[in-house]
Amino acid sequence: MNKVDNEPSRSKWIEWFNPQGRNLEGITFSLNRITGLGLTLYLFLHLIVLGTLARGANAYDNFIKLVHNPFFIFGEFLVVAAGLIHGFNGIRIVITSLGIGVPTEKRLLVVLMAIALIGTLIFAVRMFTA
Amino acid sequence: MANVTLPKGVSAPKSGENTWLWLWKLASGPLIFILILIHFAVNHYLGSNGLLSYREVLSYYSNSIVPVMEGIFLVVVVSHSLLGLRSVILDLHPSRSLLRAIDWIFLLGGTAAVVYGIWLLNVIVASIPKG
Amino acid sequence: MSNIRWKVTFQIYRAKGDGPVHFDTFFLDVDPDEYVLDGVERLWAFHDRSLCYRHACHHSTCGACGMRVNGVEKLTCITPIREVTTDGGTLRIEPLRNFPVVSDLAVDMGSLYLRMDQVHAKSVLPVTEAEIEKSPRDWSAEDQQYIRLSDCIECGLCISACPISATDADYLGPAVLAGAQQTGLSKDPALVEIVDSEDGVWRCHSAYECTAVCPSFVDPARRIMNLRRQVLGQRWQGLFNRKGAQNLAVEEVTR
Repeated sequence: MNKVDNEPSRSKWIEWFNPQGRNLEGITFSLNRITGLGLTLYLFLHLIVLGTLARGANAYDNFIKLVHNPFFIFGEFLVVAAGLIHGFNGIRIVITSLGIGVPTEKRLLVVLMAIALIGTLIFAVRMFTA
Repeated sequence: MANVTLPKGVSAPKSGENTWLWLWKLASGPLIFILILIHFAVNHYLGSNGLLSYREVLSYYSNSIVPVMEGIFLVVVVSHSLLGLRSVILDLHPSRSLLRAIDWIFLLGGTAAVVYGIWLLNVIVASIPKG
Repeated sequence: MSNIRWKVTFQIYRAKGDGPVHFDTFFLDVDPDEYVLDGVERLWAFHDRSLCYRHACHHSTCGACGMRVNGVEKLTCITPIREVTTDGGTLRIEPLRNFPVVSDLAVDMGSLYLRMDQVHAKSVLPVTEAEIEKSPRDWSAEDQQYIRLSDCIECGLCISACPISATDADYLGPAVLAGAQQTGLSKDPALVEIVDSEDGVWRCHSAYECTAVCPSFVDPARRIMNLRRQVLGQRWQGLFNRKGAQNLAVEEVTR
């Protein structure tokens, strides 16, 4: 390691995901980044697989049969969890970015993340016990 | 018009990201929130078991408001996700030329995704049995 | 000061010239109510005179002694040792992140000072313009004469803690954006072109690490959110009032 490593650098992107020494909002920033990237990937995959709808009933119905297995169901659960975390944190960002509620921002975050967590647990139960 | 010379070593302001792009990213978020609730509820709770068969998909799309809503959802979610991805790239301080190239890729890619999506909506609507 | 003594291990980041970075270990008997800076100073005085670090006032006014203590940004002159370790514990002391290291724990804060200047950040404010607790509804004519020091001591802890400052060297950073907010875009519309940019207010992603580490009462995160509102206001007004909106032609300076 050289002292140049202390300066800003693109290679430090990994630090975005390092929770050490971070406060709650800092960890939420990391989560928002991971979930946003994951959801973007899911979006484009989702658009591609929906192409089966243009190939008739058999194509789509066979695809649905294919994804009714634990591997895909787990993947879909991750998408739901990511959507909840990203969505509720996004609400915090929308509200505070307009300068509203900033002094109570931490409480707002705790409430919103609690809702996201509860939602995630509910979906986990529904998806893995169905 | 005032001219400002910046001290050496300080970057000049660049308009790579600006108020309006950010505002759209912000506004599209809650829109997606609402649309995704509808989209998700329908996909899993409509009919007997959600849209898990071709027949049920066609039945859902026979309501004329649905393709419009899904089309809007597509535009909003593609733009939000690509603006978000662009924001992540901007955090890595890309060069001017790289940013320009990425902007073109996202613009073309996003447009292609929307065009493809609208085409797909048309195919689905056209497949709905008449009567 | 009590008679309690703790045995604390200090691991100090060392970097001289082009040599590799390494950590030197020292063992000190400290009073836990002493400050981390006192420990560093004693290491310099009695153990290694080549240790380089910044310090001046020792009472949180100059902002010189910012360092990372066990991975967290601290103003070491007001960080009691008992707050950051225990008897028998270790203190890992590193320089602030995202600034060039001059030597050991001393970093070059030039970019921060230049940028604070660029946004016309005031170090002294008329008290009627400063945000203070329980300010009177109406300032009297006599009160207009009073001034106070700005809360920001330009210590750089916020920039060290900011995850975006880690990857974008040109990001203005929390302290500078907070300075611009305090100056106010309605008072200084030229600043809009500086803060409404890819290296300005839109690079913030609400990690709030800046506010978490600020040793003063700046609350940079809140100020950045307010600055966004100010930018939106200025741009919105600019849509309807072309004559009123100022445009600056900025000459790009090549390094």
